[in-house]
Amino acid sequence: MTDPEARKVIELGYGGSERLTMNMGPQHPSAHGVFRAILTLEGETVAAVDAVIGYLHRCHEKLGESLTYTQYPSIASKTDYVAAMTSELAYVRAAEIVGKFEVPKRAQYLRVLVAELQRIASHCLWLGTWCLDMGGALGGGATVFLYCIRERETVLDLFEALVGARLLYGFHQVGGTRYDLPAGWTEKCRKTVDTIDQRINEYEDMLEGNAFFLVRTQGVGVISRELAQEVGISGPLIRGSGVAYDVRRAEPYSSYEDFDFKVPVETAGDCYARYRVRMQEFRESIKIVRQALDGLPEGPISSRPGVKSVGQVRVGKGEGYARVEGARGEVGCYLVADGGAKPYRMKWRGASFSNLAVLPHIIPGHKVADVVAIMGSVDPVFGEVDR
Amino acid sequence: MPDMPAPLYYFIVAFVVLNAVIGMVTYVTLLERKFAARMQSRIGPYRVGPHGLLQPIADALKLMMKEDVVPTLADRSVYNLAPIVFLVPCMLIFATIPFAPGLGVADLNIGILFFLAVSAMEIVGLFMAGWGSNNKYALLSAMRAVNQIISYDLPFIFAALVPVVLAGSLRLSDIAAAQAGFWPWLLPHWFIFYPVIGQLAFIAYIVTTLAAENRVPFDILEAESELVAGFRVEYSGMKFALIQLGEYAHAIGTSFLGALLFLGAWSGPGPAWLGAFWFLLKAMLVFLIITWIRWSFVRIRVDQILAISWKLMLPASLLLLMGSAAWVAWRSAGGA
Amino acid sequence: MAPETKARGFVGELVDLVGAVTRAMRVTLINLFRKPVTVHYPDVTREYPDRFRGVLALVYDKETGEEACIGCRLCEYICPPQVIKVEMLKAEKRNYAKTFTLELYACEFCELCVQVCPTDAIIMMKSFDVATADRRELLFDKDRLHAVGLQFEPSWATGNLLRDMQSPPKAAKTEGAHGKAGGSE
Repeated sequence: MTDPEARKVIELGYGGSERLTMNMGPQHPSAHGVFRAILTLEGETVAAVDAVIGYLHRCHEKLGESLTYTQYPSIASKTDYVAAMTSELAYVRAAEIVGKFEVPKRAQYLRVLVAELQRIASHCLWLGTWCLDMGGALGGGATVFLYCIRERETVLDLFEALVGARLLYGFHQVGGTRYDLPAGWTEKCRKTVDTIDQRINEYEDMLEGNAFFLVRTQGVGVISRELAQEVGISGPLIRGSGVAYDVRRAEPYSSYEDFDFKVPVETAGDCYARYRVRMQEFRESIKIVRQALDGLPEGPISSRPGVKSVGQVRVGKGEGYARVEGARGEVGCYLVADGGAKPYRMKWRGASFSNLAVLPHIIPGHKVADVVAIMGSVDPVFGEVDR
Repeated sequence: MPDMPAPLYYFIVAFVVLNAVIGMVTYVTLLERKFAARMQSRIGPYRVGPHGLLQPIADALKLMMKEDVVPTLADRSVYNLAPIVFLVPCMLIFATIPFAPGLGVADLNIGILFFLAVSAMEIVGLFMAGWGSNNKYALLSAMRAVNQIISYDLPFIFAALVPVVLAGSLRLSDIAAAQAGFWPWLLPHWFIFYPVIGQLAFIAYIVTTLAAENRVPFDILEAESELVAGFRVEYSGMKFALIQLGEYAHAIGTSFLGALLFLGAWSGPGPAWLGAFWFLLKAMLVFLIITWIRWSFVRIRVDQILAISWKLMLPASLLLLMGSAAWVAWRSAGGA
Repeated sequence: MAPETKARGFVGELVDLVGAVTRAMRVTLINLFRKPVTVHYPDVTREYPDRFRGVLALVYDKETGEEACIGCRLCEYICPPQVIKVEMLKAEKRNYAKTFTLELYACEFCELCVQVCPTDAIIMMKSFDVATADRRELLFDKDRLHAVGLQFEPSWATGNLLRDMQSPPKAAKTEGAHGKAGGSE
């Protein structure tokens, strides 16, 4: 039963001049993946946005039913491939909640460590691609992009030393983690995090106070507090609109209650506010990483024996939902288990999927050039959207 | 002047200058790529030839060998003529620039007027390209082009007229000659060193040049990430090469003009025949400043660009022009 | 650093603009003189970390020199994209793998096969230099896998090392880390 009200494309009042329907198609330099936005333009102003998704659908939820609990964590990284650690964490935590598995303290601290490092890397990519969209592939945007990628590479080098892979890890397993820190990793980590702390100052120098940047981002794409809570967005989007909701504080998991960090909140609700939230999240993540390194307890890294066969993990009958604070918002995994080695049903709550729902509300009324600025500040990753 | 018929002489000179300009354009693209790369912590073209020196040749060969695709519904004559209409004014501006005292194609006595007028004609070619492509993106970009370039031509002209007022002549070689010599404290007599007026006029000139050439932060025209090459989107192969050539030729042309108006053209240490070399160096310096700005900023929206032009640049450049005129009048009437 | 409010007046805004412009240009200028981070691959080989997950290989037993693979097919069952196909060959003392094919073009490099191998037969190497123009060359059979095992440097991870890293220590009753085990092995 389709609700015609809900499916209606929101359009501004007819202003009288001719309207042009333009497709910002799935192949587009700033579509952040494969995203199709059918824009209705009046001159340079966008009158309506019809968002079409589904170009990256890879049947993750069906894969979740056909792969066992030992196999799927490696695949879970591919939903939000930019912030893979938090994606895996959602699935693994869901299995642990339903199966009532304990996670040793050291594994919890390791999970926090990699999740925050992953948040730093993901925000580096966000800043780079956002400036690339706004500034052009031949211009200042490309410069900021390459600086951010340079910093992100150092974090990925850390992950490579820890896990062996740069982007899609397979680091988590049900009951703990698969890898422990190698020798010399903590020093490298501290040095990397110090460098990034210093380089963020450079980025803020380049962008903040820069009239060109401010004039492109302030007052653009304002999400009001009521709209934010109504539509169901999460992450830096909702924190940029004045609602202080962070899963790490609302429902602490994996020892987040042991760490001392601020949750940055801005009230303006425009692209600039979301930018400020993410820049402050950089600093807070660096703080958490330092605390995790300082306070890392000794002990096992998994409460279950190492994986020796494919059906090793059996989760008893039950269902549960696990949520984590990913780089883009609340990533959730709902698991229904039936006692076997594979889940009966697994559903992903992709953060970007819910975040994209806000676009038809905030884009109409802006110019075409603002569409990319807003898309960039919403920061979707289509692996999460289409799964 | 050797005794050959004047048309033949001018033909040979123009041919040499045209080839030199095209050669310079191709290597300036390499210069820009390597300079930009260094600012971004990477190395530019490196493998084609030693340190990438053969890269422009490779690019030119590639563009020549590409298939020439014309969209079915494109307006054929407009589409095919547009690159040429765009290129010709951009090449023509080099006719009036004197590269050294007495070394130029045509040292008109209205030299700078010719330069400014002809360089504004590229809009026609641009709009023809956008319209003839039968592509919504190209059309959007072409409409923005007309808006932007027309808005910025006025401040550009006023900023370029400040040295004219200070030198008292429209002829480019006179303006260059007026900057010879030194002030006390070994400061060259270049217009950029004139207190306040010189620096402000130079800054205004750079800003309006960026806009007139569609360079970031004013490149809303091509806006790579939104309109994917804008008015050029349907061009490939040799026609694209002509459009690129025109754009970079215009960029270098305005760099040469900037060096001539503000940095004293060929005045520099050493013998007189070295003047052309100093001129080239100064033009490249202006070009590098423009490139440096280009790679440091994000672009701004079209309505903001127009707001800057009409609300800031036009009054500012007008005030500068009036200020410099007043100063010249005061100097010639009473003061030193 | 909150942005200045709009009531700064024309001159104030102009001063801010000039300041911001010079700051941004200073950052690019500083980076102009930094050493580029480019690594001239393939002229310069990159130093791979110890745990690098490169191409897969089969190895021989260190003491006996025989093939380490016993054809138990555990790797085949756990591989998520199912790229490994093994046939077992029974013999008197121990089993072998009669055929062992690995489709490297579909492999995810998740290291799960390495994790489960009881005899440390399949490992990953510190290299990924197998680029080719023909995809069929990436369908590794047993001989190719053994050849790769001798050609590159092996990574740190083997099945037993990984499992030892993950398994909780036997006598540790420290933090009650052994919760209710949800299943059997």
